[in-house]
Order: sequence, then C-alpha cells, then structure tokens
Amino acid sequence: MTDRGIPVTGLGAICAAGPTLPAALDAMFAGRRAPAPSRRVVTSHAEPYPVFEVPEQFFPAGLPGEEELLRTSRLAIAAVAEALATADWRASDLQGLRVGVCLGTTVGCAMNNEGFYRDYRAGEMPDMAPIRRYLRSNPAASVARHFGFDGPVQTVVNACSSGTDAIGIAGDWLRGGLCDIVIAGGADELCRTTCNGFQALMITDTQPVRPFDRNRHGLNLGEGAGVLLLESPALAASRPGREQARLAGYGSGCDAYHLTAPHPEGRGLRAALDEALSAAGIKEEQIAFVNAHGTGTPDNDRVESRTLFARFPGLPFHSTKGFTGHTLGAAGGLEAAFTVACLQRGEIPPSIGFAEPDPELPAAPAAAVTPVSGDFALSESLAFGGNNGVVIFARGGDA
Amino acid sequence: MNGIAVDGIGLVGGFGCGLDALAGRLDQGSQPSGQIEFLRDGEAGNVPALIADPAPLERFLSKRATRRIDHFSKLALLGAFLALEDAGIPADDRSDLGVVVASGYGPTRTTFAFLDSLLDDGDSCASPTHFSNSVHNAAAAHVAMQLGAAGPNLTVSQFELSVVSALQTASGWLASGRVDQVLFGAVDELSPVLLHCRERLQSDAPAGLTGEGAAFFLLSRNGGRHGRIVGLETGSVREGNSLGSDLDLCLLARTGLDACDTLGARLSADGTPTADLLPHVGALPVGQAFDLAAALIALRRGSWPPTGQGLDGEVGCLQVDADGRYGLLRVAAAV
Repeated sequence: MTDRGIPVTGLGAICAAGPTLPAALDAMFAGRRAPAPSRRVVTSHAEPYPVFEVPEQFFPAGLPGEEELLRTSRLAIAAVAEALATADWRASDLQGLRVGVCLGTTVGCAMNNEGFYRDYRAGEMPDMAPIRRYLRSNPAASVARHFGFDGPVQTVVNACSSGTDAIGIAGDWLRGGLCDIVIAGGADELCRTTCNGFQALMITDTQPVRPFDRNRHGLNLGEGAGVLLLESPALAASRPGREQARLAGYGSGCDAYHLTAPHPEGRGLRAALDEALSAAGIKEEQIAFVNAHGTGTPDNDRVESRTLFARFPGLPFHSTKGFTGHTLGAAGGLEAAFTVACLQRGEIPPSIGFAEPDPELPAAPAAAVTPVSGDFALSESLAFGGNNGVVIFARGGDA
Repeated sequence: MNGIAVDGIGLVGGFGCGLDALAGRLDQGSQPSGQIEFLRDGEAGNVPALIADPAPLERFLSKRATRRIDHFSKLALLGAFLALEDAGIPADDRSDLGVVVASGYGPTRTTFAFLDSLLDDGDSCASPTHFSNSVHNAAAAHVAMQLGAAGPNLTVSQFELSVVSALQTASGWLASGRVDQVLFGAVDELSPVLLHCRERLQSDAPAGLTGEGAAFFLLSRNGGRHGRIVGLETGSVREGNSLGSDLDLCLLARTGLDACDTLGARLSADGTPTADLLPHVGALPVGQAFDLAAALIALRRGSWPPTGQGLDGEVGCLQVDADGRYGLLRVAAAV
C-alpha cells in the first residue's frame, strides 16, 4: 500500500475510561482510572481481581436490550453509532452503499453461558433464551442487522489481536473494491469464563495493572468496543472535510511458537512491523509514537520493550491498558481509535500504572503526558496463538 | 475476482479421511459413522451422527506431540497435513504460508470441559490447559506451530457464513500479493450440548444427521490442480433475485434453517438442479467447505456422482444464515 492509504472518517469508543472517545481521552489525559472488582462478574477467588468494567450509565439509550443481544454486541453497536455520527453519516443515508462490517472479538463468539450449562449438567431443561441470544449476537452480524448494512460481514477471532486484524482486513476490502465503507474494530465483554481462565493461567494482577513497570505482575481484564469508519478514497473525496486520518499500513505475523506465550525474540511482531512499514511506504523514523500492547504481563512487556527498542530507539510509546484494562478482542479497535486521536492532538497520555523502570527492559513507556510530532503513528497487538498485528495511521486532512 | 486456484485438499469427516473417502461415499452412499450421547429431557439419549476420527493424524505427528491438543484442533491439523501432502508441499517450504481457518462454533467440547473444571472444582481450580485450547484461534495456532507457518494467520467465526467470509479474506491476501499460498480450512466439532440445543431449537424440522470434521485447501493464485473458485458472492436473499440460476448444479449446505429450505425450493423452481451432502457429511456450520470439495470432485469427473448429471460449467456451493444472508462459491474445473 504505497498510496495515501484508506481514509478514516469516523471513530467510536466505549470502555471503562469513558462512554465515548472524547470522554475516554479526557480521563486518560487527566490520569483518571477506576479499576475495581466487578459487580457483575463475581468469582470466588480468595483475593479479588480488579477489572475495568463499563458502568451501566455509559450505555447509550436506544440500544437493544440485554435479553436480546450479548453485551459484546451492545458495546459494538454503541461504538458504531458514535463512529457514524462523527463521520457525519446517518444510517439511512447508507442504504445505497456497500457497507461492510469487520469486527474482532473473543467472548462475543463463545458459547459459554454458565447458567445454561449448569442446568444442562443437572439434567434439567435449561431455558433456551441464552442460546437464542448467543445465536443472534455474532458481533459483526448483529451490527449489520441493527444498522441495515448489506456488505460483507466478518467476525475475526484472533484472540487479542482481533481488533487490529479486523482493521487491516477492512483496508483490504476497500482496496479490493468490495465495499464503499467498512466499520472495523473490536468489541468484548467481561465474563466469568475469561476471568477464571486468565486467573488459571496466572497472568492477572491483584493490583491495578502496571504496564512495563519493574513490579508488574499481570493484566487486569476490561471490556468495551472501539471502531473506525473507513471509506473508499473516492467516497471520502466526495465528502471533503471529514477525514480524520488514513490507514496507511497493516501487517501481521504469526510466532508459530506457543499457544499463550509470545516468541521471546518477537519473531511474529517483527514480521508484522516489517509488513506494516513496507505497506505504508515509510521508515521507522517517520513514526511519531507507538501505542504498545502493554498488557502488564512479564512476558508481553519484555518482548515488546525489546522489540520497540531495537526498531524505534528513543521513540515515545505508551500503554493505554492502565485506563481500559485488557479488553481482549476490543483492544485493537480501542487502541486504533486512541492512536488516531493522539496523532491529531500531538500528544500521548501517561502509561498509568508505570512508575518504576524495569532494569531488564531496554525501553520504558511515557510516564506523563508527552508531546509527539510527526505524520504517522503505530498501534500494535500481540495475542494468544502467536498472532501479532500492526496498524499505521497517517495524519488526516483531505488532499 | 481473479479466481482462486485449489492445489491441495485435505478432508476428515464422518465419511472417513481423505478426498478419496468422500469421493467413495458420493459413489456408494453413506451410513452414520457413530452415535453421540447427550442429555435429552434430562435423560441420557443418543443420536446417530457422522463423527470424524482424527486418529490418522498419527501419520504426521507423534502422540507425544499431540497429547495436549484437543479433538477440534486435531481435526484441523489432520486436514491441514492432508492438504499439504496432496499438494506436494515439502515440509521445509511452509514458513511464508498464510493460514485462514473458519469455524461456526469453535472448540465447544473444550469450552464446556473448561466450564466443567469450574463447576466441579471451583473457580480457583479452573483448567489452564482447557482455557488456552478453548480460544477460537487455537486450531489455527496449532496448525501454524506444527507446520512452522509464520505468515499471516486468521480465524473467522460467522456461524453458517464462516466459510465464504474467511475465503473472501484469503482471496484478498492472494490478490494483493500478500502471500503466494494460503492454507484455508474449515472445522467444526460435535458436542453433546450442541446436540441438545439443536434438538430443542429445531424440533419441528431437524435438518438430518449432524456432523463434524475439517476440510482444508491449499490455495494459490495460479495453477489449480483440483479446479478454481471463480466467484465469491455474499448478500441478502431477496425475492426475485436470480441467485445461482446459471449454475449447472448448486450444492446447498443444509443446517435446518428455514431460509435454506426456502432457497432450495426456489432454485428448484427456477430449474437449477440442487443437491446436498447431508448423508455424507451431516449438518454443520462449515458444511460449505465440504461442498467445495465435492464440487471439485464432480467437476474433475465431469458429472455429479450420485446422479450422473453431466457438468461442464460452474457448480455453486450455497449456504445461508439465520438472518437470510447468503454466501455463494462458484467453482469451475481445472483448465
């Protein structure tokens, strides 16, 4: 992709940091966060694990109800509505256009309703409502159904790089002429299955997450949705003044190493960076900052710090997981939206939770609000399965 | 689209293991390969089903190498190895391979095994092995690890439209030159809970036998020893559109959805011959991938085996979802 890239005209986000992208950014630049044990997802562990839960009052009015759709899809619809509004589109104006939806998730595709399964195991006739809701709640399909979109639909389940990969795929669809518009990003909800699963893997922290910190002990889970509205260059050119950024490059690579641990030398991440930079047609020194995956697990942060130091020595980078928690399939979508917004602002927020540099890590993240300059910014995601995804955005502005 | 060449096929399902096994069943007819037990009205019940056996994976991987890999990923691995073997890809030439996997429901047995560990032993005794294998991309990850495939890796889960959706991305990777070859596969497994749900949700008109298995294809831009996918179409089924009316034959992946039956009736009324693989593969969300394999078998022979109907044009593989959206693969013979 050595052209100017794919126009981004809309952004939407909902997470524990805020009900909209501007609200989440306000919280991040003010250094506010509120991790706490979940009120909705209760486990019996001796020590409570803080999570980043989206408060009920953050859900906008008019969403389908909890009984109709899984929370993941409801979060996705909320973020898409914001993206449509910021792009100055009404859903009714899109009827004649080919609008695709490509969303990443993990929980949103999992058939894991515990209450249903408990009743099934007990030999009872479990209520089928949770199963019917699950069957209605494929995230991409439910967004397409809700807004009446008729283009390609794809739910990416690449674990924690799903949202980033979905954005890259959306770019391919637009470049290949499959769509006029693609809504892309990710959505995920907190659930007991994943909370217990990550705790079983012993990669969660009982303290608020400390990305890249010497005393980091693991991640905090979160939930939310983050989406971008991408348009074909021709369509965007017909509506000047709305371009917020351009998707300049995407790359991915697989570690082919371990189911849950990253390759120690960041093999797949390096390949993803190579591909994304090549696709964008730029050099490392043109990147203004990096939104790192920065989960706060010892392994992830070690691999990322070493890789970033090797490829981008001295470049500012940050983790936003301290404000949102690790939102799994939503993370790539949320962080892409944050990356575009930070590129526009010319500054990145502090990596909250980071306090003491780790002498084993060659590079440390931004600890305070940090000015950044340049025309490109990069967001990266690492995932179970050895997946690594990288997106690069160029500063917007209609040509 | 420019077309996707199919250079290798690897199959495992209730019909057996390998392309010849499916071809043989198309010629001779099928019997259910087993029974699966589940809870019906709170009592133990069982139904005949087309169950896939991943035991032939031992030909490619030692038992030690697969001891922590679940049934779902073993099916995928077997399909992957068979497809590469069929295509004649050497073991040292896989590092740039792209991997795309489609699954309607993911590894459901392992998901429920993880829930068993919670319910039986409490939250603090949840099984980390079951959890890490329950993520939907576990199969694609195992394929990448065992093959050393470090190229792009993607898993798509879109219920009945998983196959066409994932193929759209595989096609894009090839068209853009991102990769030269994609190992594309579809996999779904049976589990007792799925059968319980199916029986209760489709109590009036069950689709027929249920099935499981994996269908993998080595795809490239050029070549196409087995044939080519010359069209990928998606959209909403509407009254009056002439979906598939120009096809020599349309294979319908039946999963018991009303929309599929309606579409089948409409195609028949329009004069398009239709068929399905229910007796050979069973109903499963990724049935369209097995239809693709059957279409390639038939086009190579020049006729549809069960009926002898001649084929010299395109064969369609059509699947619809509960929202009335369809995915159509257009398949043509090797040039």
